Amino acid sequence: MDNRPSDPKKEDYAIFLKEITKTFPNGTVANFGITLGILKGEVHAILGENGAGKTTLLRMISGILKPDSGEIFIDGKSAKMRDPMDASRLGIGMVHQHFTLIPEFTVRENVALVLAESGWLDLKKVDAKIVEVSEKMGIEIDPEAKIENLPVGKRQLVEILRLLCRDVKILLLDEPTSVLTPIEVDSFFRIIRDLKSSGKTIVLVTHKMKEALKISDRVTVLRGGRVIRTVPTTEADEALLASLVVEGLAAPPVVKRGTPGDPILSIDSIIVKDDRGRTAVDGLSLVVRAGEIVGIAGVAGNGQKELVEAISGLRRVESGIITLSSQDITNKSTRFIIEKGLSYIPEDRMHRGVVLTMGIHDNLALKCIERPPMSKNWVIDRRSMINYAERLISDFSIKASDPCMSVENLSGGNIQKLIIARELSNGGTFLIAEQPTAGLDIKASEVVHQRLIDLRSRGAGILLVSSDLDEIIKLSDRICVMFGGKIVGEFFPENLDLERLSRAMLGAE
Amino acid sequence: MSDRYVVSRGTKRSIIKALLSVLLTFAVTSVILLMSNVNPVLAFIYMFQGAFGDINLLSETLVRTSPIMVVSLGLAVSFKCKVWNIGAEGQLYIGAMLGTIVAIGIGGGLLSLLCALFVGAMGGLCWAAVPALMKVKLGINEVITTFLMNFVGIYLVQWMISYPFRSPDTYFPESAAVPASSALMIILPGTRLHLGVALALALVPIIYFLMERTTFGYKVNVVGENPEVARYGGIKVGKIVFASLIFSGVLAGLAGITEVMGIQYRVRGSLSPGYGYTGIVVALLGNNNPLGVALSSIFLAAIMNGSSTLAWAMNIPMGIVDLMQGLLFIFVLASEPFIRFLEGRGVLRL
Ligand SMILES: Nc1ncnc2c1ncn2[C@@H]1O[C@H](COP(=O)(O)OP(=O)(O)OP(=O)(O)O)[C@@H](O)[C@H]1O
Ligand SMILES: [Mg+2]
Repeated sequence: MDNRPSDPKKEDYAIFLKEITKTFPNGTVANFGITLGILKGEVHAILGENGAGKTTLLRMISGILKPDSGEIFIDGKSAKMRDPMDASRLGIGMVHQHFTLIPEFTVRENVALVLAESGWLDLKKVDAKIVEVSEKMGIEIDPEAKIENLPVGKRQLVEILRLLCRDVKILLLDEPTSVLTPIEVDSFFRIIRDLKSSGKTIVLVTHKMKEALKISDRVTVLRGGRVIRTVPTTEADEALLASLVVEGLAAPPVVKRGTPGDPILSIDSIIVKDDRGRTAVDGLSLVVRAGEIVGIAGVAGNGQKELVEAISGLRRVESGIITLSSQDITNKSTRFIIEKGLSYIPEDRMHRGVVLTMGIHDNLALKCIERPPMSKNWVIDRRSMINYAERLISDFSIKASDPCMSVENLSGGNIQKLIIARELSNGGTFLIAEQPTAGLDIKASEVVHQRLIDLRSRGAGILLVSSDLDEIIKLSDRICVMFGGKIVGEFFPENLDLERLSRAMLGAE
Repeated sequence: MSDRYVVSRGTKRSIIKALLSVLLTFAVTSVILLMSNVNPVLAFIYMFQGAFGDINLLSETLVRTSPIMVVSLGLAVSFKCKVWNIGAEGQLYIGAMLGTIVAIGIGGGLLSLLCALFVGAMGGLCWAAVPALMKVKLGINEVITTFLMNFVGIYLVQWMISYPFRSPDTYFPESAAVPASSALMIILPGTRLHLGVALALALVPIIYFLMERTTFGYKVNVVGENPEVARYGGIKVGKIVFASLIFSGVLAGLAGITEVMGIQYRVRGSLSPGYGYTGIVVALLGNNNPLGVALSSIFLAAIMNGSSTLAWAMNIPMGIVDLMQGLLFIFVLASEPFIRFLEGRGVLRL
């Protein structure tokens, strides 16, 4: 079935891509001969495995990158965009895969940043705009709130709000839902539907088949930089899409529950404050045993971030005790805690997980640089670093052209794989996994799930913090619900009462 | 592995930035020379001759290069860590003063020289340790503290050479001369080219090794690029920031004492014509890369020395040195946004 559109001038297309090819200076062909039409007023989902070229495609439509060959038509007219401003003038706006908000700035300041076209800043006008748009979106946002103090779900909404404060007709959304909870996704989709009914065109990249099926009108699947197929959503189902995205996807393995042993991590009534000095973790106690995965469920912003930071030594514990492998690690240095066996996959991968400007080999060695074979007597053995990088790149199927390439040139999902590779390979006995599969394609997610289970079977304890409830239910031996800085409920995945779990997450239990 | 040694994109970029800054500096200087009725082509020929014209001039340029290079190699390390040490000038003076006192105190000989060099380096270290502590313990911005410590240091040294350590046999405020037997050896007879110059050159591969091949260099890089990742990775950020700042102090102090032991033989108020500040321009121009810094030091030294020939031959003020240094500084700082603008316009593809 060939349903490739042929007439670029047709007025129905908001975006028409004709034979677009993009090769990066290092020789990676990210997009090859892409021909694709996005209809006006449709929600068009783009699926594809990590490194398939989705982000690259959107970045060309938004004027950040220039195609090597091919032509882009906007509203039927050939558009030669030199920079994002040109795209913006054509009514194109993009929400990037990784946050582009300035964390130290408030919501208002971040919005002002894109509105200040005339060079003159009228904060009253900015506020009015924020109020107007947030009301239209049906969300509540405090213009005074600092971005770094907002949970990721809120940040994502601010990204979109900022886009809508400008006058955009075409929205390019690169994995906007990857860190949202199901509830947040629902309200996010409501916003998308409203936008659609007000005539906007939306291109949405996602790895979640369910979401694509739920929200989109048509779906395009990319693989290896080429369009595999475009199908109307009504004619697609999960199995079909999955088979288009990755070849030979094995059936997910049966998850056997672990056999918990002795406690590895014990937390005894700790109190932790957030950046603004308010109590975020309020007398919480928790035990994670060897060979056990404990899932933390909860709406973002209920102290999960502060809890994780307290365990990993990145945030002060006001009172209470944390022990790891029967050693007191309360307010010890991160270095000490890592030596006692902590591995940690952070949710904020771009700011905490990797140094973007450094090489893959440098980033993979972050936690073992002081140990042989990476270094001896302070002298680094580069050969070992590169060997190690090459090994992990192939073990974890990271798509990279060279083990020393700078991490900023990896695709989002591959950066995530790199972090996972590092954290699962340093021999830790206790792992904190925050959103471990955010941004990973279905195959890679399965692999990571399997690896977490293997790690548990080898006797490690895992604390899984995820907004993806399905993931928590699938992997956890025990689910703790966090609300208002406390554990308010404990559930077991067998005979799970979802109703009660959801109520607990909202603090109503 | 092999393509690691091919010039990377980042390196290419910084080379283009440096060349662009140099070019613009010469261009603007030319305009100013033209306005004062001086033929710029002729002026730059004089300048070149003044710097490299014969073996004597060449060795003088190398002598000038040495303190600049030592200072800027140290600054490159702290800048890599994104620690802005503006206080090398003061660290240099304190190092020179303390080293000189020790050299005179011990008397002549190799021991005296070695002790002087060591104490000079430690003097720079201590002077940098004050702002380093204030930064790490109290969170006070080092730009301000290091800069202000310059004045404290320089005036302190001036007081010392005016009163307690003033040479009894001269009219000017200056210290006594260090014993001749403890001075740095002349390595090219008939010139002032001394062993210190060779030591400065030897520092280039040493600093390169330190930054590229040791865990310290690795940590400095990580902290400079993203302190949050460093903290997460178990690197003690405060310690690295402290270490990189005092390390630049050590080299500044060393630059000061080698200048005394190799060239001036005593501490005067005019010991350094602003090497501590020149070092900032040099480190930035060389993109904090030891090799780039080495080349930039020679370049700046050549401008300094060449300008005196130029000033004498064409009767223009020596201020041309400061003019060019200032322009260079501005253009180096402006080159990044400028290059990005060119890339955005598609003029340049890197
Ligand atoms: N600036 C760059 N330089 C070199 N290669 C790049 C650059 N940006 C992306 N690539 C490569 O191009 C390919 C496609 O990347 P892209 O970011 O478009 O993938 P993606 O489909 O968005 O993947 P993900 O789902 O992981 O986000 C990847 O192999 C990536 O490594
Ligand atoms: Mg992407």
